[in-house]
Amino acid sequence: MMDQPANSSPSNTGAPPEVSPAAAWLDTGSDHALREMHAYMRLTREWDLRYEKMFKTGALSKWYSSVGNEAATVAAASAIEKGDALVSLHRDAGAILRHYVNIETLIPEIFPSNMNLIRQPLGGDSRERLFRLACQMLGRQHGYSAGHERSYHYNHMEPEHGLIHIGMISHLGSMIPVAAGAALSFQQQKSDRVAINFIGEGATSTGDFHEGLNIASVWKLPFILIIENNHWAFSTPTSQQYACDNLASRAIGYGMAGVEVDGNDPIAMHQVMQEAVQRARSGEGPTLVEAHVGRHRGHSEGDDSLDQVPGDELRGYLENDPMDLIETRMVNSGIVSRAWLEEIREKCAALIMEVVDEAMSMPEPEPNSDRSIHAE
Amino acid sequence: MPNEMTIEENVLYIEALSHALRDEMRHDPSVMLMGQDIAGHGGAFKITKGFLDEFGPQRVRNTPIAESGTIGIATGAAILGQRPVIEMQFADFISCGFNQLVNVAAKMYWRTECSVPLVIRMPGGGGMGAGAFHSQNVESWFLHSPGLKVVAPAFSDDAYRLLRSAIKDPNPVIYFEHKFLYRRERTDLKGTEIGDRVVGEANVRRSGQHLTSISWGWMTHRVLEAAEIMAAEGIEIEVIDLPVLSPLDLDPILQSIEKTEHVAITHEATRTCGFGAELAARISDEAIWNLDGPVRRITYPDSPSPFNKKLEADRIPSVDVICDGWRQALQS
Repeated sequence: MMDQPANSSPSNTGAPPEVSPAAAWLDTGSDHALREMHAYMRLTREWDLRYEKMFKTGALSKWYSSVGNEAATVAAASAIEKGDALVSLHRDAGAILRHYVNIETLIPEIFPSNMNLIRQPLGGDSRERLFRLACQMLGRQHGYSAGHERSYHYNHMEPEHGLIHIGMISHLGSMIPVAAGAALSFQQQKSDRVAINFIGEGATSTGDFHEGLNIASVWKLPFILIIENNHWAFSTPTSQQYACDNLASRAIGYGMAGVEVDGNDPIAMHQVMQEAVQRARSGEGPTLVEAHVGRHRGHSEGDDSLDQVPGDELRGYLENDPMDLIETRMVNSGIVSRAWLEEIREKCAALIMEVVDEAMSMPEPEPNSDRSIHAE
Repeated sequence: MPNEMTIEENVLYIEALSHALRDEMRHDPSVMLMGQDIAGHGGAFKITKGFLDEFGPQRVRNTPIAESGTIGIATGAAILGQRPVIEMQFADFISCGFNQLVNVAAKMYWRTECSVPLVIRMPGGGGMGAGAFHSQNVESWFLHSPGLKVVAPAFSDDAYRLLRSAIKDPNPVIYFEHKFLYRRERTDLKGTEIGDRVVGEANVRRSGQHLTSISWGWMTHRVLEAAEIMAAEGIEIEVIDLPVLSPLDLDPILQSIEKTEHVAITHEATRTCGFGAELAARISDEAIWNLDGPVRRITYPDSPSPFNKKLEADRIPSVDVICDGWRQALQS
């Protein structure tokens, strides 16, 4: 059942994969597709750069960066819809922002008026979601966990808008069965909704990876597990993490579809995800997607784990920055100008600055050691 | 669907469990069962025999041998509105799913205000020479994990009522059912009202003025037997059974101690950090000035369960050992 890899990759050598051209299926709408991917990728990049800066100035105690993962995550979340479940990790700001906000309402005229959108945004107040997300990052009362949980360790549900988002716990791999359980709930309800979950390549070594995928495949759950393989788990390279050629082929052992894709190419990634989502919606079971991305940052900011990445390898990742790649592609294709890209960057940065400043000014939670451990 | 209740005389503990599961599944279509060999085979103890035929393979699911995966999947489904009931084939096997339970399911509500209506049925306890991995009493592991509720009924009526309440409860409930009681304990099911939450319960099963005994599960039956022997000696034991260990209903215990001024806790679980230690500490905090002697614990030693039945019996608090423990408590 192994699908043809969307892009061949050297996998376990640690070298970044080559970049494939925009997929042919999007030839008529590729301008629009690139613009849509780019808008959310840029918003995500500015989101991270803002917190990274705050970390450096001591305004934030900890930060896990999504820089380098924007193409994979934005493209993945572009393939889901209202009512689908997103189960994210700590490098998935791209998927969260893509799922939460309608960027057109935040930055008017970011798209041409005749734009054919890849996915419809969820209804509801995008600005409020972005603001609460910033409060969540900063441990404020208005954050989704009211200051009780850090950064991406929260859930957010808006049933009226079909927003289902389950966040992570620190134990990597643990959310795989939980996300498969979200898919089970859809199957029980005889709905055609799907659940997607992101993990790093390190979590593929856990027991929950095996148990979760095995049950998901036996029960044909509408579940897609995306491995964001950045080739380094904290300071451990893939050569010390697994001995197989690639992780997508592990799908064979579970009797499910497995696809390897260049996660720096949002168009290729989106195509793979669309196929996987279609497979899940039509009852054909789960898909394992291995998306190769680059290691651009340490495990967390300031932990010097990036020192372990050999210089040549790191340079390769930085030279294949998905943000640069998509912008170069857009300029070279004559879709937009460098000046326009700079204008959009400034608008995204200004929006993030405004929202984060507003969140910073919000109150911290009051002491409440009696917060309930049980639902009443 | 109506909230029908089984009303029947002289019901075996194991039948009470079957009735509770079946009645709640008929009542609420979001209740689903997961576990190893529970579908066609009906489970290692046949509690779900016939369920596959009545409720179908969507709601009665055999799982692979994957405790962690099963608890994780059940947790995810519970967050989105299902009410999964997992059968651990043996309570001992829960250790393979420990992280999903204590870190994902238990902490979910506190972290996210998403409720996890999940029940894990735990066939536990010894007395059958089943060895170190089919005999344990592991309630303390979960009492130490905020966010879980813990149930350990001794009687068929409590077993029925509390299993239905556990399924209705919006929180993860660890439900200890004692294997030794499965085919030995019988009580009438009288159709008592079913609560939609598991709340603390401490029930006086026998009144007495000389010593307060606290126990749960199988040990409550031995305690009641021992109390008969003591009564013949003129010593009246007040027997308090805890069908619910967490949340804990401490007040009836404190009220009883005010009267008896002596207390002993009997449990089948190993001694160190067993629930008896926590009860002793709570009693010390709240009622030490009402006590006329130390808090006694009568427990399994800090030892795994041996296979040989005589070796095992030597470790489980017997009626004689319980009586001796009480006599010592009353002498001091």
